[in-house]
Amino acid sequence: MTDPVELSIMVVGCFLSMCMFSTLYGKSSPLYSLAEESYIGFATGLTIVMNLMYIYNTGVVGIQGGDWILIFGFILGIATLLRINPKYSYFSRLPIAITLGAQLGLSLRTQIYTGFIDQIKASIVPLFEGSAKTLIYNWTTFICVIFMLSFFLYTIEIKGPIKLSAKIGEYLMYASFGAIFAQTFMGRLGLFVGSIQNFTVPPWKKPILIACMAIVLVALIALDKLNLLEKLTPEE
Amino acid sequence: MSLLKSFNSYDSRIVYLLLFLIVTIPLLSPMGLPISVSPSTVTYYEVIDALGPDDLVLVVLDTEFSGYMEIQSGIIASMRVMVERDAKMCVAVSHPEATGIPELVFAAIKNTVDEHGYTYGEDYVILGYVFPNEAAVASAAQDWQGVIHNDFYGQSTEGTFLDQIHDWSDWTLISDYTTGIQSGSLINHFGLRGTPMIVNCIGVMISTQMPYLSTGIYQALLQSMRGGAELEYLTGHPGPGMTAMDAFTLGHYMLIVLIIIGNIGYFGTKENSRRNVE
Repeated sequence: MTDPVELSIMVVGCFLSMCMFSTLYGKSSPLYSLAEESYIGFATGLTIVMNLMYIYNTGVVGIQGGDWILIFGFILGIATLLRINPKYSYFSRLPIAITLGAQLGLSLRTQIYTGFIDQIKASIVPLFEGSAKTLIYNWTTFICVIFMLSFFLYTIEIKGPIKLSAKIGEYLMYASFGAIFAQTFMGRLGLFVGSIQNFTVPPWKKPILIACMAIVLVALIALDKLNLLEKLTPEE
Repeated sequence: MSLLKSFNSYDSRIVYLLLFLIVTIPLLSPMGLPISVSPSTVTYYEVIDALGPDDLVLVVLDTEFSGYMEIQSGIIASMRVMVERDAKMCVAVSHPEATGIPELVFAAIKNTVDEHGYTYGEDYVILGYVFPNEAAVASAAQDWQGVIHNDFYGQSTEGTFLDQIHDWSDWTLISDYTTGIQSGSLINHFGLRGTPMIVNCIGVMISTQMPYLSTGIYQALLQSMRGGAELEYLTGHPGPGMTAMDAFTLGHYMLIVLIIIGNIGYFGTKENSRRNVE
């Protein structure tokens, strides 16, 4: 026997998901608007509650434990909220400046390593040691890096062997863009498959999925035939 | 001529409808197409397989709920192995939508949890939403006890295995399941300092995560739902990943066919229009 709560979650979730997919019909639809606004409402509510819990767990509990410096966090947080009052909105500049400064300081220190130095180090590979597979991999990396770098030589005239090298580099980049496109497609397909799979496992969900798909499709076609799709869609 | 033209300019809604059918039909009625296991998944499995009862793993569910749908197979299969190896697990999330995921995962592996007597507080702790931004990740890496006081249920973490954690160096492994929310912060403040990291990312992110594997910041990378399915196969526990692989495979075949059709249409009409101009 299916739990009624789980069943109702499934029915509402499945119906709203199919309404979301109604955007693929190519015309604005009230069903899509219903799903979109519901999602925004639920997500905003959840985000507020979770952030309040975070503030309590890390801030209030910390202060209760004697970590008084956290009070400054609360003061800065309240100062940020003063943005809504035009008279005192200038107070909000301070916490925003601190946040931006801290964020930049935290990430810049490490980005130099992860995004730059370590990447260069990883492309400097041994070319004459290791197994045959490693050698093939390393030589491929070495050659591709040289060819692709030659494509980005802007300060000299590209002619002769450098022109050939830049052309090969260009085609190598096309190949890598193709691989990135394939991975992007795999990712998007994965999200789609995962969301549909959520409505097919366990098997008792399958009839609900089929019913929701049919209802949304029939409703879309009917509303379109009656010229009601755009009329019933709320304005942005 | 008209056929080539239609190849070049078909209604995109036909593609959506086809994709919808090709994904939905195999999920409603699975076919069991074969899959192979890639070397990257084998490496990932070797890392989690080597865990033991003394190891402390920080599992970060760095995803929204939509992203979870893609990588749930990897999350479930990985956490099942960690439970089987009796490794201590601390589950943190970095997005409000992910706060419900840990309970879903533990419900999915309930049999393994019960079988191994894996108990809350003693063997695992769910922290909930504790990594909202880079500053929070940096603080946790620097001074864990100064930042983490309570678990998701509002109970103090004192007296649990988390007492052993003081900074980044006390973790045996960071296991990040990511759509890219805080993965960069985890690299910056844990991985770069030397905490071993493994990652299961969504497909869109694979190309951007590969360099971190090459540089040694990641020990292993599990790729999207496909990697999750391979891990399920390796661990001998078929789950959502393997059942989704039919749809996944057919979806990719469809893309290849559409690319071929599109190219025939493009080059065919180009050739015709050139002839007409001449």
